[in-house]
Amino acid sequence: MVPNGLGLGLRWEFLEEVLEGPPLDLAFFEVSPENYMRRGGYFPAALEQIAARYPIVTHGLTMSLGAIDPPEASYLRELRRELERLGSPWHSDHLCFSTAGERVLHELLPLKFCRENARRVADRVRAVEDALGRPMAFENISYYAHPGRAEMSEAEFLVEVLERSQAGLLLDVNNAYVNGLNHGYDPRELIAALPLERVVELHVAGHTRLPSGLVLDTHGAPVADPVYELLEWTLERTGPRPVLLERDHAIPPLTELLAEVERLTVIYERATAAPGACRASGA
Amino acid sequence: MQAALERVLAELTLGPELELGDPKAVADFLGRCGAAGVDAEALTDGGLARLMIYRRLVRANLWSALEQAIPRTMARLGPVFEEYFARFLAERAPRTRYLRDVTRELLEWCAPAWREDARVPAWALDLARHESVQIEIGAMPAAPPAPAREELALERRAVFIEASRVVRYDHAVHELLDDDEDRTVPARRPTALFVYRSAAHEVRYLELTPLAAELLERLRERRLPLGEALGEACQAAGHPLDDAVLEGTARVLADLAERGALRGSEP
Repeated sequence: MVPNGLGLGLRWEFLEEVLEGPPLDLAFFEVSPENYMRRGGYFPAALEQIAARYPIVTHGLTMSLGAIDPPEASYLRELRRELERLGSPWHSDHLCFSTAGERVLHELLPLKFCRENARRVADRVRAVEDALGRPMAFENISYYAHPGRAEMSEAEFLVEVLERSQAGLLLDVNNAYVNGLNHGYDPRELIAALPLERVVELHVAGHTRLPSGLVLDTHGAPVADPVYELLEWTLERTGPRPVLLERDHAIPPLTELLAEVERLTVIYERATAAPGACRASGA
Repeated sequence: MQAALERVLAELTLGPELELGDPKAVADFLGRCGAAGVDAEALTDGGLARLMIYRRLVRANLWSALEQAIPRTMARLGPVFEEYFARFLAERAPRTRYLRDVTRELLEWCAPAWREDARVPAWALDLARHESVQIEIGAMPAAPPAPAREELALERRAVFIEASRVVRYDHAVHELLDDDEDRTVPARRPTALFVYRSAAHEVRYLELTPLAAELLERLRERRLPLGEALGEACQAAGHPLDDAVLEGTARVLADLAERGALRGSEP
């Protein structure tokens, strides 16, 4: 199992530093397996060494869980091999689609919030769990527009998929915050509506506001103060969980990321030690 | 319903830019995608305009992946490359779930058209292939090593590492500076390289003589026994199979073995 506490998204920019440096005070690293599977060379070799020193959790990018067409069997076979190699306790991907028939768009595209989609995603999650031989979790995405007419709210859609599947929830706190800003709701209301005992992991990252006012989940800036606050509020309700700092663009030196991790650790310890904390886990 | 919305997002992000101010164009677009009822109403009523942000995100992500792989080709071709990028997205689009493989798909799709397009210099495809082969060989899966014996003999097939290949260009693009700003025109000269990944995971290449190229293609790509490969290679290169060739072959193969690219022969 992955220990609760703070983890960091492993990026190629600091892979060598992690390999050659002293042990880091991190509970785990998270990787996107598509960047390592079905390939040889330096990166998978380096990851294997890191996996021998730190717990690894996998978080995919291109499963396209919500698409009409299921992922190809060859992709799932390769993915299973990679998860076995890394010993990930579960695998997560996004509650979205990124394929349209044969076309792969390489972007997390929003699903219509409706029962038909919730049913299909739940069935897909179960099939994927069988194919991968381990539990799945899905992440709430940032979405910038809803496709078509919604039949339900985002929270109701997430709950519907969770109720229909046995999947865990990877709760991205920054995504909840960004969606709240873009769609005009209080992210605390969304989070409070979710079955928090199903949360297996939390994500935080930075975002950017465009001149148009739209807020993009860029993973290209430090975590914003309101997201720290929302994380603390959330942890008080979920209890201890693995918490991941994501950074994918404008990646600063590792020392800067570790300083952010330290700040997150302070929040994590305060939130999970607070009286009344851990309600969701029943601890 | 989801199928229609998938088509909407795919066409909106990958296809030609939709004229949102033209109600007929919007209605035709939604009809082609199969969007109807309340979804079509919501999309017409501002939904498509809001979804346009995904056009920017999808294109930026794919463009960035290509820039990682073939920056010099993209810089040299400029607007012509942009045009082919747009056409690739609209007419073919990526089919791979692996972002690193999008470059290969784009180049395979572009190759026939580039050969016919007077705006695309004759060396462009060679340069793009040379840039992308570095990533391809660098990332090539390492299959479990097949059993091999050390010594080579004329009747045996050679065993190379998986991450190796003979590539041929019509231009000496490997001599160009690794600099996005460089605009030197590469010499038009048939070129053959043996590209391989070293034990330290570095991609390296060796320039081959015409005879060595013929020989290694037969050994590596066609998996002929050494003697047969040598005979055919000499015939193809118009070279007698003499002692000098045998000595040269021994030197080339010993060098490749020392570099870790040649593992030996089939048992």
